[in-house]
Amino acid sequence: MKHLFGSRNFLIVLFGTLAVLPIFANQYTLFVSNLVMMYIILALGLNLLIGYAGQLAFANAAMFGIGAYGCGLLQVKLGMPFFVAAPGGAVIAMAVGTLMAFPALRLSGIYLALATLAFAQATQWAMLHWEAVTFGAGGFALEPLDFSPLPVSSAIGTFYMTWAVSLGLLLFASFAMRSRIGRAFVAMRDGEIAAEALGIDLLKYKAMAFAISGFYAGAAGALFVPILDFVSPESFDLFQMILHKSMVVVGGLGSIMGSVIGATLLVFLLEVLRDFKSTQEIAFGALLLGFVLFQPKGVVTFIRRWVPGWNEPLHYTDGTKQTKQAASTDEPVATEASEERT
Amino acid sequence: MSILTVDDASISFGGVEALADVNVEIERGEIVGIIGPNGAGKTTLLNVICGMNLPDKGRITLDGTVITGWKPSRIAGMGLGRTFQTSQLFHGMSVLENMMVGMHLGSTSGLFAAAFHTKRMRDEEVMMCEKAMEALEFVGLAEFADRPGSALSFGQQRIVEIARTLINEPKVVLLDEPAIGLSVNRVAELDALLRRIRDEKGITLVMIEHVIRLVMGVSDRIVVLNSGRKIADGKPEEIRQDRQVIEAYLGAQVDA
Amino acid sequence: MMMFSYLTATGITTGALYALVALGIVVVYKATEVVNLAHGDLFMIGGFFAYTLHVMWGIPYIPSLLLAVAGSFLVGIVTDRIAYRPLMSQGLVSVLLATIGFSFMLKGIARIVWGGKGDYLPFPPLVAPEPIQFGGIMILSQHLVVVAGAVLVMICFAVFFKTTRAGKWMQATADNPKAATLVGIRVSRVYMYTFGVGAAAAGAAAVLMAPLTLLYPDIGFTLFIKGFAAAALGGLGSIPGAILGGFLVGLIEQFAGGYIDTSVQDVSAFVVIMFAMVFLPNGLLGLRGVRKV
Repeated sequence: MKHLFGSRNFLIVLFGTLAVLPIFANQYTLFVSNLVMMYIILALGLNLLIGYAGQLAFANAAMFGIGAYGCGLLQVKLGMPFFVAAPGGAVIAMAVGTLMAFPALRLSGIYLALATLAFAQATQWAMLHWEAVTFGAGGFALEPLDFSPLPVSSAIGTFYMTWAVSLGLLLFASFAMRSRIGRAFVAMRDGEIAAEALGIDLLKYKAMAFAISGFYAGAAGALFVPILDFVSPESFDLFQMILHKSMVVVGGLGSIMGSVIGATLLVFLLEVLRDFKSTQEIAFGALLLGFVLFQPKGVVTFIRRWVPGWNEPLHYTDGTKQTKQAASTDEPVATEASEERT
Repeated sequence: MSILTVDDASISFGGVEALADVNVEIERGEIVGIIGPNGAGKTTLLNVICGMNLPDKGRITLDGTVITGWKPSRIAGMGLGRTFQTSQLFHGMSVLENMMVGMHLGSTSGLFAAAFHTKRMRDEEVMMCEKAMEALEFVGLAEFADRPGSALSFGQQRIVEIARTLINEPKVVLLDEPAIGLSVNRVAELDALLRRIRDEKGITLVMIEHVIRLVMGVSDRIVVLNSGRKIADGKPEEIRQDRQVIEAYLGAQVDA
Repeated sequence: MMMFSYLTATGITTGALYALVALGIVVVYKATEVVNLAHGDLFMIGGFFAYTLHVMWGIPYIPSLLLAVAGSFLVGIVTDRIAYRPLMSQGLVSVLLATIGFSFMLKGIARIVWGGKGDYLPFPPLVAPEPIQFGGIMILSQHLVVVAGAVLVMICFAVFFKTTRAGKWMQATADNPKAATLVGIRVSRVYMYTFGVGAAAAGAAAVLMAPLTLLYPDIGFTLFIKGFAAAALGGLGSIPGAILGGFLVGLIEQFAGGYIDTSVQDVSAFVVIMFAMVFLPNGLLGLRGVRKV
């Protein structure tokens, strides 16, 4: 029974349980489960960008917000039905995300991180202050989703819709990364210069990574709208950023299953600490710091080590710093240890 | 016809002339060594050829096509491979997966083909895997296919990086100090490998090297740079006795 | 004209503070190639220390200032040992994430110890709050104190780096860590003190600024962004750039807020960052702090 605990079975159990949850769970449980599935999408998108493609971008929360506002505003201001506005919001977020690929070509490391962070903050500012469009700090409410002619209530319908979308996006990400595309991403992360020399068009693949993560975050945002029936700027603040980052790090950068696990665990933690904002900040800050220090490859490392049959491709960051001096001029460059280990 | 030509290449960085009017012609099937003291512009020359730096003046031609100003990935697509001084092994992937990246240009499945796991994509994966294994067998490292890069010794890692450039059957491969940090035995193995690449695969090699014994032994021709200019170009025996070359190296000779 | 001079005066005052924050960021960056995202929170902690010492325990202003700066210095050292030293070899992603995590921890702790998000702590000014008239321009005397204090701190920094041995060691390590090791400088210790010094600058800025603005836990990030905007504008590796950038950001903010719309004041720092990253990669003073190998 080598594969009894394999990652695929884990997913089957998780999504299977979720599928039958509405039968016996109360409204609060459904709400939390909705959040779990939504955050799985967010964590996946961010992981693809940071963990696989190595692009240190801090704007995921902003893309999340753009997706939510896009979906909400398209309904409220332009009268579109949800099932058009939702993909619309996701596409808008994807487009904005893709634009960030261009500065990502020239900036790297700290510069990219802070430029995207500034962008994210500017986006939240727009949500707060551009009242003509976004209704400002108070946000706006929407009617609960109507699933007619299907005979399901709004809550149940929203739940299964979220279930289907999150499962679909999870499978998409998982298959996409086990391919030439996934390898191109990891090559970009681990050795951008050599990747280019092997024919990987950096602009194209960075744009792809930003587009995918933007779409995922935007889709999560669109799904967020019917969960709360309310859109407001405070959901997309700095804390949201640390939430996403923690999920990806705790779960494991560069591991699809890691994002699933990280999102699930941290949503539970979030709800447990819901009444204590400052404790939340300390807890998530400490988690992020702790995992970066002691277990940067995330929870999946424990799982890989102790659970037999957990099969996942080897795409993880081991934090090795790649010097960007590969093609520097003829100044002497420190070489790696040249002891032979035959 | 020469397979790679550099015409009057010049480039300056912040007022310092890194290359000045360098002319090089590489014939098909040659192994050309590039030597010169530190700071001579050797790596800059490779950077200019492969598109990482745009020359201020001059023209690069690869197999009849002018490639000056092209993006490095596009030049790679024309059949130019390159290795680097520092290790560029992709640490997050196994050796085999590293090699499969070498087949990136030889495959076309895009994002959606991958996500929906189409038959074409699966067939391509199998093909890439086979080619990658072939290349690993060519360099004798097939047993390490599923291990992470860190399981290899430094010398073996360098070999994998070279092999990675060969998979898509390039016309020319640029090598930046392939022998760096290698022991004497490994250098001899590298020498043999480079000959096999030239003879069995017909790939042209352009190699920067400081290990004089290697470069003198394996090269068909040697180009010498000093302070951004070419000061000699000829067979190893001629270069060995060239006055200017000896002067350039006075007091700075590196011999393995 | 009144508004122009008022905006200029306020811009210079806040700019002086941003310059101090930027100074701390740049000093640490030059040495370690890392931007400490928790830097603004060091400012916040310094301010809260000063509040505790001066307002809650009644210690006079100047000793409170010095003790608060010392306290910030210590927190800076802690930052180095927790978030930087163990991770330096692992690359930028790790260090950045660690400093973010630490930043949130500091914020949460401050919130618990000193009061929640709604509580803005007032800090009494050093001098009487009546405005002074300067030939048609009205400024608060506290503004003068702030600018004078900031300039004093900057002078102390300049003196420290140019004359003291520790200062020269820090510069040497920043310019060429390998050579510094060869000469016998304990590089990791220098990094630790650099963090401390950077944090002390933040602490000093906090205490100076506290009477002008109310103290609240989220101020750390706001300050960090403005300090980083200043550093980016001036050139991330340049100390004079940080100072110049600080004043520029202060002025830009005020003018944007005054002439365009008050709410634009908040967003101008973000715009400055994006602008600087895209159009001025080396900053105005042309130094990006590239470490020479």
